[in-house]
Amino acid sequence: MKNTSLGPIKKFDKQRYLSEAEKLFGKGIVHWLSENSLDFLEEKREGVFLYDENGNQYIDGYSSAGTYNLGRRHFKVQESLKKAINITDQGNFIAMSGEKALLAEKLADFFPNTIEGFLFSVVRGEAMDAACKLARGFTGRSELMTVDGGWYGQTGFALSLSENEIKKKFGNLIPDTRTIPFNDQNAASKAISKKTAAVIIELIQTENGCREVDQAYLKNIRSLCDTHGVLLIIDETQTGFGRTGAKFSCDHFDILPDIIVFGEAISSGLFPMCGMGFTSRVKKFFDEHPLIHMHTFGGHDIGCVVASDTLEIYEKMQPWNNAKHQGKRFRNMLEKLKTNYEPLIKIQGQGLLLSLIFSAKEQARQFCIQAKNNGVILLQGEVESKSVIIRPPLTISDEEIDMMTKAIEVALKNLQLENKVIL
Amino acid sequence: MVQTAYASVSNEDRNLILRRFGKHISQGQVRFLTAGHLDIFEGERNGIGFKETISGKTYIDAFSSAGCFNTGRRNQEIISALGKTFEVYDMGSTQFLSRPKIEFARKLVDLSPGDLNRVFFAGSGADAIEGAIKLARGATGRKGIISMKDAYHGHSGFSLSAGGKDHYKELFTPLMPDFYFAKFGNIHSVKQLASNQIAAIILETIQGEGGIHIASNEYLKKLREICDQFGILLIFDEVQTGFGRTGKLWACEHSGVIPDMMVLAKSISGGIYPNGAVVYRDIPILTDFVDQHPRFHTTLGGGSDLGCEVSSKVLDYLVEHHIYENARIMGNRLLKGLRNLKNEHPKILIDVRGRGLMVGIEYTHEIMGMLMADLLARVGVFAAYSGNAPQVMRFQLPLTINEQEIDQFLIKIKKAMQLMKIALFFILPLEKIPFIKKYLSDQGFLISISAKLRKLEFWK
Repeated sequence: MKNTSLGPIKKFDKQRYLSEAEKLFGKGIVHWLSENSLDFLEEKREGVFLYDENGNQYIDGYSSAGTYNLGRRHFKVQESLKKAINITDQGNFIAMSGEKALLAEKLADFFPNTIEGFLFSVVRGEAMDAACKLARGFTGRSELMTVDGGWYGQTGFALSLSENEIKKKFGNLIPDTRTIPFNDQNAASKAISKKTAAVIIELIQTENGCREVDQAYLKNIRSLCDTHGVLLIIDETQTGFGRTGAKFSCDHFDILPDIIVFGEAISSGLFPMCGMGFTSRVKKFFDEHPLIHMHTFGGHDIGCVVASDTLEIYEKMQPWNNAKHQGKRFRNMLEKLKTNYEPLIKIQGQGLLLSLIFSAKEQARQFCIQAKNNGVILLQGEVESKSVIIRPPLTISDEEIDMMTKAIEVALKNLQLENKVIL
Repeated sequence: MVQTAYASVSNEDRNLILRRFGKHISQGQVRFLTAGHLDIFEGERNGIGFKETISGKTYIDAFSSAGCFNTGRRNQEIISALGKTFEVYDMGSTQFLSRPKIEFARKLVDLSPGDLNRVFFAGSGADAIEGAIKLARGATGRKGIISMKDAYHGHSGFSLSAGGKDHYKELFTPLMPDFYFAKFGNIHSVKQLASNQIAAIILETIQGEGGIHIASNEYLKKLREICDQFGILLIFDEVQTGFGRTGKLWACEHSGVIPDMMVLAKSISGGIYPNGAVVYRDIPILTDFVDQHPRFHTTLGGGSDLGCEVSSKVLDYLVEHHIYENARIMGNRLLKGLRNLKNEHPKILIDVRGRGLMVGIEYTHEIMGMLMADLLARVGVFAAYSGNAPQVMRFQLPLTINEQEIDQFLIKIKKAMQLMKIALFFILPLEKIPFIKKYLSDQGFLISISAKLRKLEFWK
């Protein structure tokens, strides 16, 4: 055991913290953050805002990749967490509890009609891995099919299916996965067969500049799945819980998946919980094979209490209505800006999941820096780096949308000026 | 509502919960747990155990969610540390820096042996294993991973591929290629697989789910030598053995062998808020890769601000109260008591093994696992057997346990053994009949017979 060498670090001595971060996490991450003007310490959070170590206020247009749907530190969710830690704990993960059972029942009411069964994980990738395993286990087939441009997480199955360059460095991943071109009906018709276990897709590819699936294409996929006994897995980790102006993105497309993967929006970012919902038909697999797939921290009793209470807030507040309303206003204002600023070439997305597409990757990066300097935190898409994703809390007000639009306008203006200088 | 930790729950409520659980999670799990008398609702949780909600009966928690409650159940110091964070923090933003993340990482590194000076976070044990294997492959540019037979590392893509039990894998194949399995504890078996094509050797220094098998110091030292010889990275999965469980803060300290990566989860959470981490050595092969690919394993649920505040407090608590020292002393007392019991009941117990408070007892027959879980529940002990190795029962008590509580626990085990003796008087003769013997090895059959035996309550 080493002696604690540093002792308590002087509060808000940012340089000291950053140099600690370099030693502990590596120079690379600190470099990446500073390159994107994100090398601050995230301190207080409130509503749609987060504050750095100097008390500078920013609109959180990132929401930790679509986690803070009800805003940062939502009062009632926080109350729920306080209540839960004073009564219960994680519980033994193999055991049953009223907390797990109640949450699952509430989710069955909240999720699209046919989704009846649930399994809980901690991170998104784990939930996607579980979904792929369920599909293989249920169908007895092994082929997992996805489309290009997807981004599902960092764990084995999720990574195998994602368009993530770095995966080449990790050796041979999960075999029998296939990628077909997005929105290509012919390719889908040819590829999906009786050998396929599941088709995995995001209806709005968040990290890929919010590229949207065509309704007709999706319907065709659903019917191909039905014909061949294939499961349809929809990743709603970023699109779920109201983000796109409906409870789930699949509501826009009038389609029922067999499995839905969901993210931390279930607790609005106060407790790490993700998971998947599935139909009662598919659930039979877990009835026949209990405890074949487990998560120590999945179905955590404290997490279940928090998620149950958060669901009630969702039901009462129906933030998807605000997401739809503000999304529309915001989009209109952005479209107007687009006509004035050349580097911005396209706007994609739904509700409060929007993406600005720039002509080049560097433009998008520079734009994010400008936006941050003007009080809005935004990140580029992980798949499409020419895109910048805007995903603020769904509780955002008219005034805050205007504030954000203003900041974006200034950022675009500065970007255009800079471009002229460069040219 | 019926949230079981809250208030009294009636029998009617109980049926409602079981119905809900069966309908929305797994009917099979309800069946499985009921058969093993593990259909217990944990009510008020405190110290080394909990009160069952319906009966109000007190249970000693000898499972601790496979080693999550090292600091005891609902440790008030940790809970109040979490409570203090609410004014400012939530989970935080993935990839961004914050005071809690940096301070916890510093504390963790200072308490880790050797040059284990760097950290990345993960949401769970499995997620941390995913990251560790990715780092090993990415850093070495090699594909091969040597894992161990009977190993248990988790259920997601990489971790399941590294799992040493077919039971958890066979329904989901094909998994990742280039994973090779050595016989745990057998250095010759590793030597046969080691080469300069191998990125990492991954193992639990004490196999937990596999049935409490302890790797000898000699074996671990030789593994380190093999790794150094071929440029292989050594990964210790300390998810269950870390945070004081084995009588030292980290199990690797028993041997003095420093792995290249140490994978942590479970008790890092204080039993109240999920977290996970990989601590790795400050050596160029690893740090270069991470510096070039700083976002190679991002996570939202891992390294959250609230999680890091909790984990920081867990470390403080373990160190301030010398919890690992207590684990060593209490572990020895428990082992001694169990060995005495083994001598008294040679027909039931064939082995007692463990280190610190990571202890396992092995029965002479598989069916005893399920029966014993039931009998232990009757005497007020919550202990789980693995459906996969039902002949071994793991005891992973909270490390805050004291002498009287250990003795009380031993008395309960003794009582359960006596009941077991009566039960075996009826069951063992049946085993001599060939077709019944076949059934007795079948898990599905065990579940149904055990459920029936439980209903009969023939030992009353």
